[in-house]
Amino acid sequence: MSCFSRISRRQWLGLAAAGAIATPASGWFGRVASAAAVSRRRSCILLWMSGGPAQTDTFDMKPAHANGGPFRPLLTTVPGLQFSQHLPRLAMQAEHLAVLRSMATKEGDHQRATFKMRTGYLPQGPIHYPTLGSLLSKELSDGASPLPGFISVAPYRFLSPAAFGPGFLGPEYAPLVVGDGNPVPMPQGAAADYSQALRVQNLRQPAGINTARVDARLGLLEELEADFGATRPDVPAASHRSAYRQAVRMMRSESVAAFTLDEEPAGLRDAYGRNRFGQGCLLARRLVERGVPFVEVSLNGVDGQSPLGWDTHQDNFATVKSLSSTLDSGWATLLEDLHLRGLLESTLVIWMGEFGRTPIINANQGRDHFPNAWTTVLAGGGVRGGQAVGKTSADGTEVSDRPISTADLLATVCGALGVDAERQNMSNVGRPIRLVDPEATVIEGVVA
Amino acid sequence: MSRFFLFQSLALLLPVFVAPVRGDDVADLAERIDRLIEGRLLAEKVVAAPVADDAEFLRRAYLDLGGRVPPSSRVRQFLAATDSNRRRRVVDELLGGSLYVVHFSNVWRKALLPETQADPQTRVLVPGFEGWLRQKLADNTSYATMVREIVTVPLTPTGTPRELLRPDNRPSPLAFYQAKQIKPENLAASTARTFLGIRIECAQCHDHPFDHWKQGEFWSFAAFFAGMERQGRGGFLAGIREVTERRELAIPGTDKKIGPVYLDGSKPLPTQARGGRQLLADWMITSRNPYFARAAVNRLWAHQFGIGLVDPPDDFTADNPPSHPDVLDLLATEFASHDFDVRFILRAIAASDVYQRTSRRTDPSQQNPRLFSRMAVKGLSPEQIFDSLAQATGYVPTAADRQPADPGQPGSPRSEFLELFSDESSRPTQQRTTILQALALMNGDFVADATSLERSRTLGAVATFPALATGERIEALYLAALGRRPRERELKRLVGYVDAGGVTRDSRQALGDVFWALLNSSEFLLNH
Repeated sequence: MSCFSRISRRQWLGLAAAGAIATPASGWFGRVASAAAVSRRRSCILLWMSGGPAQTDTFDMKPAHANGGPFRPLLTTVPGLQFSQHLPRLAMQAEHLAVLRSMATKEGDHQRATFKMRTGYLPQGPIHYPTLGSLLSKELSDGASPLPGFISVAPYRFLSPAAFGPGFLGPEYAPLVVGDGNPVPMPQGAAADYSQALRVQNLRQPAGINTARVDARLGLLEELEADFGATRPDVPAASHRSAYRQAVRMMRSESVAAFTLDEEPAGLRDAYGRNRFGQGCLLARRLVERGVPFVEVSLNGVDGQSPLGWDTHQDNFATVKSLSSTLDSGWATLLEDLHLRGLLESTLVIWMGEFGRTPIINANQGRDHFPNAWTTVLAGGGVRGGQAVGKTSADGTEVSDRPISTADLLATVCGALGVDAERQNMSNVGRPIRLVDPEATVIEGVVA
Repeated sequence: MSRFFLFQSLALLLPVFVAPVRGDDVADLAERIDRLIEGRLLAEKVVAAPVADDAEFLRRAYLDLGGRVPPSSRVRQFLAATDSNRRRRVVDELLGGSLYVVHFSNVWRKALLPETQADPQTRVLVPGFEGWLRQKLADNTSYATMVREIVTVPLTPTGTPRELLRPDNRPSPLAFYQAKQIKPENLAASTARTFLGIRIECAQCHDHPFDHWKQGEFWSFAAFFAGMERQGRGGFLAGIREVTERRELAIPGTDKKIGPVYLDGSKPLPTQARGGRQLLADWMITSRNPYFARAAVNRLWAHQFGIGLVDPPDDFTADNPPSHPDVLDLLATEFASHDFDVRFILRAIAASDVYQRTSRRTDPSQQNPRLFSRMAVKGLSPEQIFDSLAQATGYVPTAADRQPADPGQPGSPRSEFLELFSDESSRPTQQRTTILQALALMNGDFVADATSLERSRTLGAVATFPALATGERIEALYLAALGRRPRERELKRLVGYVDAGGVTRDSRQALGDVFWALLNSSEFLLNH
């Protein structure tokens, strides 16, 4: 106990998160050391690109080859690193970005690839693999925030819903979903600033019921709960009480102001882009600021058009140009804003879709699904920015240097966040499953 | 060696299958279950909780067999009944009624097509499949016949490929094949898991480190589905065709072709002129295959108790032994000798003291849920939650509520609930409430309407019915939501609250507060 007394409460929570408490046999001192690394708390923002973005028209330009298409490369602030001409503001932020140009995965079907990229595993039999946000928020939460640990902005879940859920971790780790990811008409008039679209459902007490009355009701409920719970020490009953406590705590906390985007200056809101993705990025910053460890923002399509906007089998170039503009404003402003507030070094930003797109341009001026050689990006906290990792061949059709698997990427994400990728969770089939497939290797030179 | 280990008890089981002497089979089986469970409790020095009172029993039986809480009129009637047979009667009434058919078609569909939970693309298959299940359940078709129909349903009746998605949603078990993507390996894995409780799928890619099945065994079992062919390029609406005489399957990534072998190591006779799936059904669906009956009764037990005798319920491996092998064998034997009658097993379980025990912990020794010393507290399925809320609040479901949910569209109240409350971790005794669920129940429109004097049928009637004392109004709300009368202490407290008018100084509004608290309570939202 003497070594324990020197550990602060915060470290104790970190220790619990690191699993040391559940595995006392593995030695206190080693665990305390790793807990210290974890106690430097980090957050993660996943920018999810539904449909699979074209690497050749964004971060892995091939200007010298016919596959390169019409877009011109643009010099960035990092010598030798070029992005597409349609990402000019991100080009100014290149020092924060590690561009992983040699993703080599196997799945070319939206559903399977989405599942694989978002859970790290292929759908297999009865095992319900959790999505990345559930896995990482479980590791990163310290329980201090009145907000849930995982918030998902405008996900489009239709094609692969299991890839967006908590799986065997259970609803405790489910995302709080805000905003509708389905293709919907552009908000008009007053709604067009997305202040309402990105609110939490049912957060306000019902119309006509004031706080005094809510208190009276909660008082009646508490008496019922005390009676029922006294003799039934079961998980469902205990969890009911804890969810209600958390819900009330959240309803009444100042942190829910995170969802009131009107508080931000109009100029900043414009800079993020007055669209679902841009305002979602702004919301992500406001949530991270208030201690939420994992936020994901989906860019499904330029508003109201397609739920899988990056799935550009036809008319690739016009679509990617317009998506790039939305992406550029939202993401670049997010990085600047996080940086200005001193949050960037503790916030990892992941940019990825389910796969890339064929370098060869098809007859419809489109690009098709392509898992063989494509790009993802890590930026911000824990990442050595200002570099491209890996290479593809001159025509872009194959990886010529340092192939990166899905598991490698996720292990690197864990590394950047200070999370032990080998941590295990008990699955629904009664077998422990690691956060990341143990065959993964952390990509060299990416974790700062 | 492994498969012989798994199947060695086969021979031992055989002599048990003799026609039993018929008396009151249900009471007889219930008593034998009780004797075995109680013997174990005694040996473990655990004190069994007492049998629940009538209200607790009725609510549980309704939720388990009818999928929703009982109507308050039925509760009043049941609490007034004095005949000793009343619990058996209410179970018979439930099993003979339409609530059971609808609820169990949903329960079986989730067990047989777990894919429809996670994959909305397959949800279009639900109406045809549930329609088929409803027919079978309404007729009380033998479980063996039902499974045989699934395993052997003709795929190419006229030699032309069969389109799976038929516009009329005609009742059919074909969805089983589409949900498994018409792939022999998926069909083999699901068939073994669902109907035998055996997980062989991990051996699909490699010899499994934890388990006994080898890759070759997996693919030779899959070879019973070797004739499967889907037409066209993998599209969702593809038709199925079957080459019934094809018996060999290539292990992907190898040149090796492999023929069908049963999981006990035996092979179908080469001369048999039956299709692969018929041969599989002949071996699988028989009282001589102990796994078939055991997997089924274990599933029924898990449904009634929240925990299987083998748990997780579809994992019959040597590393995961049953808590009560004797109870499992007893139930399996009785199931087979009663022509695989599902209702018979449900009746017997429901008639047992084990099932009828209170969920209250009455002694500190009642720690291990797998000893069944008291009833476990179970979470409700999304359907049970919505249908119970509708029952308690007098909500009349609309046509849209009866449609299967389409996640691409703004939903009916029911489909919104189903989505919000869906739980993939799917262990009823470990079910957890989310913050969003709590917010929806506290602040959402549905409960707001249900607790509004103007818009709630139940509350409106209770609050405005003339000549009722406050205590009677409160009792009516308790019966509707919790299926019991308020305890004396509760009544006293709540009559005080309502008569004083609560915060609003209005007794009717205060009744709304009481109803709100009841509908938000874990006693209402859980099965116990």
